[in-house]
Amino acid sequence: MKDQDQGLDFSMVIASTVHDMKNSLASLIQAHGQWLEKLPEAQRGTPEQGVIDYEFAHLNGMLVQLLGLYKLGVNQLPLRPDYHELDDFIEAQLAFHQEVLASRGISARYSVDDFGLPGFFDRELIGSVVSNVVINAIRYARSEVLITAGQVGEQLVISVNDDGPGFPAKMIENQTDYVLGINQSSGSTGLGLYFAANIARQHQRQGVPGHIEIANGGELGGGLFSIYLP
Amino acid sequence: MLAWNQKSFLIVDDFSDFRSSVRSMLRELGVKEVDTADTGEQALKMCSQKRYDFVLHDFNLGDGKKNGQQVLEDLMTDKLISHESVFVMVTAENSQAMVMSALEWEPDAYLTKPFNRASLAQRLEKIVQRKNLLKPILQALDRGKPAEVLAACVNLTKQDPRFAPLCLRYKADALRDLNQHEPLEAFLKSILADRPQPWAFSALGKLLHKRGRNAEAQAVYEEAIRTFNAMPVLFDGLADVLIALGDRRRAQKMLEEAVRLSPYAVRRQRLLGQLALENKDFDGASKAYRQAVSQGQFSRFKDPETNLGLAQALISRGGERGLDARTRVEINQTLSEVAKEHTNDAGLQVRARLMKATSVASSDPEMAAKLTEQAMARLDGMEQFLSADAALAVAAQLTQLGQEAAGAGILKSCAEIYGDDPVVMQNIAKQTGDPDILSAGKAAIDLNMQGIRAYRAGKLGEAQDLFRKGLALQPKNISIALNMAQSLLHMGVQNLDAASLAECQNSLKMVGKMPETDPRYERYQKLRIRAFGE
Repeated sequence: MKDQDQGLDFSMVIASTVHDMKNSLASLIQAHGQWLEKLPEAQRGTPEQGVIDYEFAHLNGMLVQLLGLYKLGVNQLPLRPDYHELDDFIEAQLAFHQEVLASRGISARYSVDDFGLPGFFDRELIGSVVSNVVINAIRYARSEVLITAGQVGEQLVISVNDDGPGFPAKMIENQTDYVLGINQSSGSTGLGLYFAANIARQHQRQGVPGHIEIANGGELGGGLFSIYLP
Repeated sequence: MLAWNQKSFLIVDDFSDFRSSVRSMLRELGVKEVDTADTGEQALKMCSQKRYDFVLHDFNLGDGKKNGQQVLEDLMTDKLISHESVFVMVTAENSQAMVMSALEWEPDAYLTKPFNRASLAQRLEKIVQRKNLLKPILQALDRGKPAEVLAACVNLTKQDPRFAPLCLRYKADALRDLNQHEPLEAFLKSILADRPQPWAFSALGKLLHKRGRNAEAQAVYEEAIRTFNAMPVLFDGLADVLIALGDRRRAQKMLEEAVRLSPYAVRRQRLLGQLALENKDFDGASKAYRQAVSQGQFSRFKDPETNLGLAQALISRGGERGLDARTRVEINQTLSEVAKEHTNDAGLQVRARLMKATSVASSDPEMAAKLTEQAMARLDGMEQFLSADAALAVAAQLTQLGQEAAGAGILKSCAEIYGDDPVVMQNIAKQTGDPDILSAGKAAIDLNMQGIRAYRAGKLGEAQDLFRKGLALQPKNISIALNMAQSLLHMGVQNLDAASLAECQNSLKMVGKMPETDPRYERYQKLRIRAFGE
């Protein structure tokens, strides 16, 4: 046997375990959904239901992100950009989170500026980024989440805004550190920013890479995440 | 809103829980017609009996079973599904590496498990909206009319320039099918200059490769891989170009990269096995061929050459040391499969027997002798031509098994059939120094070359005479026979007198036994149809 056969490649072990975990979770979510439908109306929509739905979504998002990070690390994250209609893309996001939004009592809406052409990006990758940001927004929002798409200069900007307390000032100040992976102490949000920034950077046009920004304010006054795609 | 109650659905998944969950989602949407299947094979059968508006297909249906991508390939190739139908690939994981194994046939959408009813409905409604918009293009595709596809693209873009991005690929494919090389090249380059996409790189690389501009194709693929470093098809394309440029070692490296990204591709594994075998990397060749055989089991790309390749790789890997018992069992198994599944193919029967004889030559000489004898008996009466590669392998094995005369006979007929190909002649020269074999065809090949020159210069009669003389010397030479037929047919079959028509038909009949894998087979078919009016 060769040297490389000794011991385990731990990141690979994690990746394949995460893959199985994700499958497990998918079965769990599905079974839970079917079980819910058999419950009498009065027993649905309880606060526990909100917790379950939210944590399902949160777990799923983290596992997807973890697999994405693994593939980024081994240079196997396929980028396949294509043209996508933005209202379709955002509607799909909201449909995906419908249960969580409903059970947490949060109203979500979106607006898309009319700028003529569809967006150009990898639907899967940008989808997983936006999905995680939406889950984060749902966690902190009091009652509202707003997704917008518009054009700034030559770039497409997709933003997620909420009416919660906003990002901690420290995080906004040091966002470059998170983006570069220097400061990962802030748990899943920090890792999420790193992942998002990496995916944004993969989207390039004539040498200009995409990027992300976090701020507080926006129309709803809470956290405001934006991803810029050239 | 969609009239869900009028749409038919097929759900394909190996988990009954999943099937019933999706079924109930569809019911709630108002869908009345839902069928289910738990294997790809069953799905194919159902699609051949009924036209479905929607197919929701799980990608991974378990080891050793057809996966979703293979089913999609089969559905499209065998035209079991209309371009207007919707095929959704359901995956367990986003952007699954496995799903990336093909760019040729893409599903209309990917849905990642788990999904809810709202997501399913949203996705399906959007796809239907888009397909309605693209209807003229899709119907032209179903009719197999690329010119109409092109016209439909132009119309749609004129209607609203915002639809242009939706038409890019359809337009490129139509230009390709119409052999409009220059417009296609310009079109692809304009796409790449603005918004590069993997498929556009791949299409441009293929076009340049096809037109023999391999150095340019190489540059295109290298840029493509810098931009999209995890797309296996780009490595496939680069490997093809490197093979054409003679750099088979780097070609092997590229395919290894593609296999690392996406191991589930029968054709890729087979080509990798072949390259590794040529590059004398017998370990690599055994591994790749083994994958190709096991994945090929349920694939439309199942091919006996893969089994023979695996046996060859394993024998070569053993080398002087000989083979251990386990390897002999594997060889026996893979060759028995060929013999069993191709009882009427004399060439394969011969090759499988000789291969097996070679593998047992030292462990069981008696068996080897018996198999060799059987193979030689089959060879004797065989009309069909072996491909050059097969003939070379057969000759080498016969010689190794002590049948030098039979081996020389195979080389001689190989030289007659393929003598105009210098690579084949070089490979023959590696096995024999016999001038009878090596230079027997020289005069005929010269006559053929002169004939081609005369034909190109428009001196038809002179060309026919030269081909005729060449063919008299080497009646089985495929190139000369085809040239003879073509030069006779040049004036139109209706203008040939009876003797000329007979001459044309005879020269075609003689080479009609060529292997279908020969690159000239298509040309032969066209000439045959003209000469025999079928």
